[in-house]
Amino acid sequence: MNEIALAAEDLHKTFGDGDIAVRAVRGVDLTVRRGEVVLIMGPSGSGKTTLLSMLGAMLRPTSGRILVDGIDLAVVPDSRLSRLRATTFGFVFQDFNLLGALSVRENVEFALNLAGVTGRPARLRAEELLTGFGLSRRLEFRPDKLSGGEKQRVALARALANQPPVVLADEPTANLESKTGHEIARLLRAIATDEHRAVVIVSHDARLKDAADRVLWLEDGAFGSFEEMATDPVCGMSVSPVGAPHLQTADGIVSFCSAACRDEYAALRSGRSTVV
Amino acid sequence: MTMVPIARRMLLTDRRRALLGVAGVAVALVMVLALEGIAAGSTRQISRYIDTSPADVFVSQKGVRSIHMSISVLPADVVDQIAAIPGVAWSEPILLVSDSVRASRVRRPAYVIGYSPGEPGGPPVVVEGTEPGPGEIVIDDRAAAMLGVGIGDQVDVMGRSWSVSGVTTGMTSIVNTIVYVRYEDLGTVLGRPSSASYVLVGTDGGPAEVAADIERATGHTAQTRPSLSAEERSLVRQMSTDLMNVMAVASLVVGLAVIALVLSATVLSRLKDIGIMKALGLGRAGVTRLVLGQALATVAAAFVLAVGLTVGLGAGVARLTPDIDLVIESASLIRAAVGSLVVALAGAALPLLRVWRVDPATVFRSAS
Repeated sequence: MNEIALAAEDLHKTFGDGDIAVRAVRGVDLTVRRGEVVLIMGPSGSGKTTLLSMLGAMLRPTSGRILVDGIDLAVVPDSRLSRLRATTFGFVFQDFNLLGALSVRENVEFALNLAGVTGRPARLRAEELLTGFGLSRRLEFRPDKLSGGEKQRVALARALANQPPVVLADEPTANLESKTGHEIARLLRAIATDEHRAVVIVSHDARLKDAADRVLWLEDGAFGSFEEMATDPVCGMSVSPVGAPHLQTADGIVSFCSAACRDEYAALRSGRSTVV
Repeated sequence: MTMVPIARRMLLTDRRRALLGVAGVAVALVMVLALEGIAAGSTRQISRYIDTSPADVFVSQKGVRSIHMSISVLPADVVDQIAAIPGVAWSEPILLVSDSVRASRVRRPAYVIGYSPGEPGGPPVVVEGTEPGPGEIVIDDRAAAMLGVGIGDQVDVMGRSWSVSGVTTGMTSIVNTIVYVRYEDLGTVLGRPSSASYVLVGTDGGPAEVAADIERATGHTAQTRPSLSAEERSLVRQMSTDLMNVMAVASLVVGLAVIALVLSATVLSRLKDIGIMKALGLGRAGVTRLVLGQALATVAAAFVLAVGLTVGLGAGVARLTPDIDLVIESASLIRAAVGSLVVALAGAALPLLRVWRVDPATVFRSAS
């Protein structure tokens, strides 16, 4: 549990120059240990995806270091980044991002191929992983024939194919119904605990807090204190009370992610609250 | 090292588009192969009289090195002069002029050859009837079919009527046909009964040496059969090369456009997938292989299809228009294969530039 899998030091990312420069990430420090699940939450536009892209070796930081297995991703040549992504990271995406032209088995096998595992060993490993995720009867299916939960389990199997030390998940439960979302959260937790991997999740979904060892709040490109955050009672998203739509109730101020959630909440409590 | 055939899978995801691409490139290649095949067939036909001749050496007027598009006139006594040269086994004069053979309202360009029946210089084989007697003519079976004539029918050549005495075969090309009459008859018609157009020579020794001796002794041009045949083909090829090249290039440009469009459409519809693959670790070389793999697979399938279609086309053409021979030569196949390869590489260039620029980070939601 103490082995550091991923470390970001004073990470900055600025898009554009001069007056139009956007500082998407500002001085982020982050250490994730093997076996640990870190959940990064924050409002839209807070820099979560930019941070995840940098952590996953898809985007170079403007300054700072990202250390994985002693390698600084910020200075690794482009020619080596692809290979590093294949062997060091497992990715889980909001839209599943399975390759529609390939079968379920081939999607996992392809990830293995990218890491240099080919032929029968790749096939057996893919089948073993998919069977472990309860997909043994879906091996030759195309992704479009699967349910959302099944797709995300295939994505998890693909993410684990090359036994990466770090798994990065971007809104892994966003397109899933509640029960399936809980199942995916449980699986991510198990990946960290049982397989001793570092798991970094970026999400709006407050339900994932239960699966996380640490929850970090990213706002305006920098980490803040999660204790200051509130939970939208309608959709379950975490929101910053500052500037968010809110409602004064007899029990106190309730914050929402959007005016629509606030209005829905107000309608349910009609006559007993005051819209501010 | 078996890997997931990602290029093939992507290509075949939209089978209709893939088939259209293969068909489009195949049609372009068929045009190239068919044009070259017809040209090859024509050049073979054009030299068939020479190739089937028993003569080892052909003697012509000085400076005349072909039969097609040429006029050669030799004095009759040159035959005896040649016969006296060591190494010459026999020598036989022929007359040869260009005209046409007509029956009813059908007209066919023709070489008219005057020869002595029973001697070299006539048709290689008479498949029906007999060699020509006085006032008679032997024509090719394809020409006979086109003209609608048979043994005993009349045809017009050189301004007079001839009775068909026999039918030979293999002497009609897309350009013309060959008809055979008696040497004396053609000499009379031409008004020069004691001259020759060419002298055919059989040799006892090496034809090249004998040809050189004949040139030295007579001052006329003497060529071996292979040499004259090559000259003849070369002349015909030169006459058609520019046109053939233009047509071939135009066809390859069509193929290039098709493959570029198909690949672009395939790649553009799969940019997200390519972004996913890059995010998962597919490098620049892998992306290049992916696009080139699709291009080469399309062109390879198109090439195989094109060869099959051209062979079928050749059979169909031979049945419908017997004067056209479509011959697929190995050199033509190699040229088409190389052209296909160039088309595949060029067609993949634009899609490649596009996919190289795909940002793997696009697999995440829009940057926040």
